[in-house]
Amino acid sequence: MSKENFLEVQGLKKYFDVGRQSFFSRQSRSLHAVDGVDFVLQRSEVIALVGESGCGKSTLALLLMGLEDPSDGKVIFQGSDITHLNDVQRKDLRRKIQMVFQDPYESLNPTQTIEEIVTEPLLVHGMADTSDREERVKKAMEDSGLKPAEVYLKRFPHELSGGQRQRVVIAAALVLEPEIILADEPVSMLDVSIRAEIINLLAELRITRQIAVIFITHDLGSVGFFADRVAVMYLGRIVEIGTMLEVLEKPQHPYTKALISVIPVPNPRLRHERIILQGETPNPIDIPKGCRFHPRCPAALEMCNASDPPFVNLSKTHQAACLLLVK
Amino acid sequence: MEIKPVVASSSANFWQTYRKSKMGVVGLALLAAIIFVAVFAPWIAPYDPKSSEGISSNAIYNPPSAEHWFGTDDAGRDVFSSFVYGARVSLIVGFFASFISVVIGGTIGIVAGYYGGQVESALMRFTDTMLVIPDLPLIVVIVALTKPSLLNIIFVIGIFGWTTTARMVRSQTLAVKSRKFVLRARAIGAGRGHIIRRHILPLVMPILVVQAVLVVSVAVLNESTLSFLGLGDPTALSWGQMLNYAFSRGAMSTGAWWALFAPGLGIIWVVLGLTLLGQGLEQVLNPRLNTHHLVPGQPVVQKEAGETPKAETLLEVQNLSINYINEGKLPARAVENVSFTLKQGELIGLVGESGCGKTTLMLALLRLLPSAGQIVNGHVFFNGRDLTALSEEEINAVRWKDVSIVFQGAMNALNPVRTVGDQIAEAIIKHMPDTKHDQRLQNRVIELLELVGIAADHKDNYPHQYSGGMRQRAMIAMALACNPQIIIADEPTTALDVMIQAQILELLDSLRKKLGLAIIFVTHDLGVVAEMCDKVLVMYGGVTAEYADVDVIYNNPQHPYTQELLKAFPDLTKPKKKLSSIPGYPPRLEALPAGCRFAPRCPVAIARCHTEQPAIHKLADGHIVSCHLIEAAK
Repeated sequence: MSKENFLEVQGLKKYFDVGRQSFFSRQSRSLHAVDGVDFVLQRSEVIALVGESGCGKSTLALLLMGLEDPSDGKVIFQGSDITHLNDVQRKDLRRKIQMVFQDPYESLNPTQTIEEIVTEPLLVHGMADTSDREERVKKAMEDSGLKPAEVYLKRFPHELSGGQRQRVVIAAALVLEPEIILADEPVSMLDVSIRAEIINLLAELRITRQIAVIFITHDLGSVGFFADRVAVMYLGRIVEIGTMLEVLEKPQHPYTKALISVIPVPNPRLRHERIILQGETPNPIDIPKGCRFHPRCPAALEMCNASDPPFVNLSKTHQAACLLLVK
Repeated sequence: MEIKPVVASSSANFWQTYRKSKMGVVGLALLAAIIFVAVFAPWIAPYDPKSSEGISSNAIYNPPSAEHWFGTDDAGRDVFSSFVYGARVSLIVGFFASFISVVIGGTIGIVAGYYGGQVESALMRFTDTMLVIPDLPLIVVIVALTKPSLLNIIFVIGIFGWTTTARMVRSQTLAVKSRKFVLRARAIGAGRGHIIRRHILPLVMPILVVQAVLVVSVAVLNESTLSFLGLGDPTALSWGQMLNYAFSRGAMSTGAWWALFAPGLGIIWVVLGLTLLGQGLEQVLNPRLNTHHLVPGQPVVQKEAGETPKAETLLEVQNLSINYINEGKLPARAVENVSFTLKQGELIGLVGESGCGKTTLMLALLRLLPSAGQIVNGHVFFNGRDLTALSEEEINAVRWKDVSIVFQGAMNALNPVRTVGDQIAEAIIKHMPDTKHDQRLQNRVIELLELVGIAADHKDNYPHQYSGGMRQRAMIAMALACNPQIIIADEPTTALDVMIQAQILELLDSLRKKLGLAIIFVTHDLGVVAEMCDKVLVMYGGVTAEYADVDVIYNNPQHPYTQELLKAFPDLTKPKKKLSSIPGYPPRLEALPAGCRFAPRCPVAIARCHTEQPAIHKLADGHIVSCHLIEAAK
C-alpha cells in the first residue's frame, strides 16, 4: 500500500426495522436510512456531506461515531477496521473521533459549569489526574476562542450566547486532541452574523491541529471556502462527490444541479431560473426502483426506472451516479 | 469579546425564587417549627412521659390548664409532653421511610428509563402491579404478622411507598436521556454509570426531592394509621399511638377531647407543612411553573398626530415605537422609530437577527402584542385608516380580513386534533359567518387548498399526516381565507429544507402576482430577501439600520451593519470567498448601549457613536440610513 487512506467508508448501510405494514402481512419492512455509502477522507481534509432531511446524513454521522451499529459495510480508520468494536476499543477510539452537534442549547448539560463540561472528557478517559489537566482544559478553551479561559470556567451554559456555547462544545471535543471532528449542522441554529466565526474556527483547527473535519449540512451555500470536497446525498446514498469547485461550479447530477439552483444568492442582480423539484424526498421505507431520484428528476428518461445507476468517473476526483452520464 | 458579569451563585438564586411562593414559605416555617420541637424535645417538654414523676391519681383526663397545656391523659400524664415526644417518633418514621422509598423508586425509575427495552418493561410491569395492590391493608397485614417494632414499620412503609416516585423518575429519565447532551456524553466515550451519575441524576434530582417531601407525609399518615389500629411499636409513643390510647381508654366517653386534639393537630401540622413545602419546591424546581413578571393590557399611547399618508400606499408605518413594560424597571425599548411603506403587490423584506424586534413590529401592526407590549408612539395607516386609533372591535375586523399572518413553525400553529380543512373553514367562518352551513364553505376550502398546491382529497387529513412543506402551504391557505390585501409572513421557511423553501417562495411569489397581494416577509436570510423582495428594511436592536430598494441594499449598502451582514452571508457565486463574522452579539433589550445600538460591534465606530444615538438620514428617495458616519460624509 503506497498511500493509506486516513478514514475509509465502504458500502456502509443502516436499516431500521419498522415492523409489518399491516397485521396480516408477513413481510417486515425496513427503513433504509443509509443505503451503501462509500467515501474516503485524508488527514486534515474537510469533506462536506450535503443533503436534505431524510437523506441519511445524520444516521451516517451516528454510524461513523459508533453510536449506531451498521447493518452492513465497513469503516476503516488508519488501516484498521473499526466497524465492530468492543466497549474498550470503542472508548479508546472516541479520543480520536469527536463530534460537534447542531444545537448548542441542547447539547450542554444545564447543571454543569463550563469547566466541568470541558473537563468531563478527560475524566471519562482517566486523564483527569494528570498534572496538566488544567493546562489542557485552558488550551482547548482558548483554541476554541474562549479567551481568557478563566472568565468562562465557572459559568453555566445559560450565561453564554449561542456562539459561545458552540465554542464550548468544540472545546470539549478538542480537549481529547482528536484527529477527526464530525460536525453535524454546527451553525444552523446560530445567527447569520456569528456563523462565520464557528466555520472559520473549524477551518483554523484543521490547519493548526491537523484535524480532519466531516461537515454535515443541508446548506450547500455554507460549504464553499471551507470544504475541500463535497458529497451530495439523496435517500441514503451519495449521488455526487467531488472537489468543492467541481461540485459547486460544474455539478453533473440532476439533483445537485437542482439543489444548487435553489440556493438563494445574496444579490438581486443575479436572480436566476431555479430548478424547483416537485414533491418531497420519498419515504426511505419505499425506495423507488431503478435510480432512486428518477420520480423527481427533471431529466429522467425511461431507462432510469429500470436500473440503479453506477458511479461515473468525471475526473480523478469527481464522480456522480446518473445514467445520463454513462457514455 | 463581550464579558458578562458572573451571576450570583445558584443557591442564592434558589432562595430568591423560593421566597416568591408564599405557601412554600409557610410550609417551610411550619415544618421548621415541628422539627425544632422534635429535636429539642427533652428541653421543651415539661415532663418526661416515660417517668411517673409528678403523676397523681386524681389527674386522669384533666382539661387543659396552666400546668398542663393540653390537659392530661388516662394515666394522668401531660399530653403536651407526649405530643412533643410523639413528634420525634412520627418524624423519624416519616423521614426514614421516605428515604427508603425514594431510593427504591429512584433506582427503579432511572434504571427502567435509561436502559429501556425488556429491563424497562419488566420493571414497569412490576411497578404497575405494586401500584394496584392496596398498600395500606397489605402494610397492616405484614406489620401484624411481624414484630411491631419501629424499624419494621419504617421498612414496611418504605417498601410500599415507592411506586409513584418510580413512575415519575422514569418519565423524567426518558426525557433527559433523549436530550442531546447525553448523546454528546456518549460520543465523548462515557459509559452508562458515568452518564447516569453526571447527567441523568442531576436533572432527576428535583423530582426526587419534591417526591421525597410528599412521601414523608404519606409515611407519617401510614404510621399513624398503623399505631391507631394498635399495630404500632408499644415502646415508642407516636401521635398515632396517642390516638390509639386515647380512643381505647375512654377519652371519647369522658369528653376528654384534648387527648385526641393534640396528636391530631400534630399530624395535620406536619402533613400541611410538607404539602406546602412540596408546592414551593415545585415552583422553584420546575421552571415551567414560573410566572413571568409582565403587566397586562396596555393601551396605545399617542404623542403626536401622524402625517397624512400618501394616496397610493396600502400600508404606511410612521415612526412606530414599542416598549415592553418591565415591572419595577425602565421599559424595554423593543422597537424605536420604525417607518416603512407598502404598495399593492409589493414585497418588503424585514431582515434582522434574533431579538432585533422584527416579530414585535409585525405583531404591533395588528395590535397583537403580548400583554406587556405597548405602542408608545407612531401610526400604522392601512388604506388611510390609522390602525393605532381603532377600537378593539374595529381592529378585530381588520385582522385576518385585511391583513393576515403566516406564522413560523407550522406544526405548532396548527391544532393537531382537527383536520386541516376544518381549520381553514374556521378561518373563513370567523369573518364570513353567513357561509357556515353552506356548500359554499366547503367549496371555498377546496379552492384555497388548490390555490396553495394541495390536492382537495387531503382536506380531511390531520396536520401530522402532512409533510412540513404541506403544513406551511396549509398555513398560507388559512391566511388567504378572507382575501386579505396584506400577508405578513414571519420566517415562513426557516425550519424547512432548501428545496421545500424554494417551493414555498415560488408559491408566495405566484400568489402575489395572481392575487395582487402585498407581502411583508420577515426573515434573517439575506439570500431569500435578495431573491424575492422589492424593498428591504434592515433592523438592528429594534431600530432601523437601513431601508432601501433591494438593489441598493445589496449593491450599495451604506450602513456598516448591512455591509458586515453581507460579508457574513455565504455566496455560492463566490465559493472561495472567506466569510467574516461580526464580532460580539446583538444587544439585549434590558442593556441597550447608550449611543448607536450597533456601535459595540461596529468596525468603523467613532467616539460619538458610543454616546449619541444617530438620527435617521434620508439619502436618496426611499433610502434611509441611521448612522453618524453618513452625516459626517454629507
